[in-house]
Amino acid sequence: MLRYPAIHIDESRCTVPFDCKRCLQVCPQAVFAVEAVKVERGKETDPKEPGAYKLDTPYRDKCVMCHDCLDVCPVSALTITLAEEVKS
Amino acid sequence: MCWVCDIYGDGGLWYLNPKNYARNLYRLRTPGAARAFGEDPETLGLRRMQEILETRFTDREEFSRLVKEANEMREKGPFQIGQVVPLQDAHKMVELSGPFAAMSCLCRIHTRAREERSPREYSCGGLGVGMLKWERWPERYKGGVHFMSPDEAKEWLTKWNKRGMVHIPMTFGGSFIGGLCNCDYPDCLVIRHRVDYGMETGCLKGHYVAKVDYDLCTGCGDCVQRCQFGALKLEVTTRKANIDLLQCFGCGLCETGCSQGAISLADRMSFPMLQEVW
Repeated sequence: MLRYPAIHIDESRCTVPFDCKRCLQVCPQAVFAVEAVKVERGKETDPKEPGAYKLDTPYRDKCVMCHDCLDVCPVSALTITLAEEVKS
Repeated sequence: MCWVCDIYGDGGLWYLNPKNYARNLYRLRTPGAARAFGEDPETLGLRRMQEILETRFTDREEFSRLVKEANEMREKGPFQIGQVVPLQDAHKMVELSGPFAAMSCLCRIHTRAREERSPREYSCGGLGVGMLKWERWPERYKGGVHFMSPDEAKEWLTKWNKRGMVHIPMTFGGSFIGGLCNCDYPDCLVIRHRVDYGMETGCLKGHYVAKVDYDLCTGCGDCVQRCQFGALKLEVTTRKANIDLLQCFGCGLCETGCSQGAISLADRMSFPMLQEVW
């Protein structure tokens, strides 16, 4: 049986992840990633603009549920649960 | 020779073949291919890699199949080709190509939201005419770029080598070498995708392997923390560094970090059982 943690990000709370970056930098397993939602020619995306960047967890299979990210999140946007079983 | 050399090397190492830095390769595009950011060779390959990686959360068998298929596509796939090179080969690369510019690392922006905003901080290198157009896509080159002479570039590479970074040349469409990255684990995507998920094309093993001279090794352990690939450890009872040659990527970081000169790089091809290990 194979189960991975599911990390839920409440985007109504997590609005400026690139500017905040606390979870991205604290995670010992480096499970997070952040990306500009839209990349425009000639323009650098402003990290302080709400919604301009989106947080994701592409490496959540490495998550050990240490909850360091929950501790540092200033807006309580993260919840971690065990996800459904994966077909293997 | 590795498969990249077979295709793009013209008898030598592909990343030291001047042809692969030629500006006309940079202009070569698939007819009808879009040019916008997000649709260039770099991001197309990255997107496909991300799609493949996502399948591991739903179907492990499908994931293994897609990784194997991606590795077998080699140069025909959408993926950037990258290979670990030691410092001396990275130095040769900056002599072959120009212009050279240091810039912020796209992987570290992505995985750690790291902002590099000055030449002192820039940890990634861009090569060739493409760099002259960096201002078109400021988000891609977040934090700006800093053009360097070959001598400055060598100094800059040596600095990051001292600090423990692996050098990896990257292609940007076909065989055009447009990047010389300084990488480590886990914040660098190609190393992570290779080490953790077996995606090979972006981080092939280099043409060398590191060998320890047990007579010279004092067991100080300085080299241990410099291996990004888990190939090197200190053998407790012998008190000597031990390198697993099957795991070694040939980056040479243990060699440049050894104060005793006890580690040297040998040609991978001189070991019969390593000739097909890339």
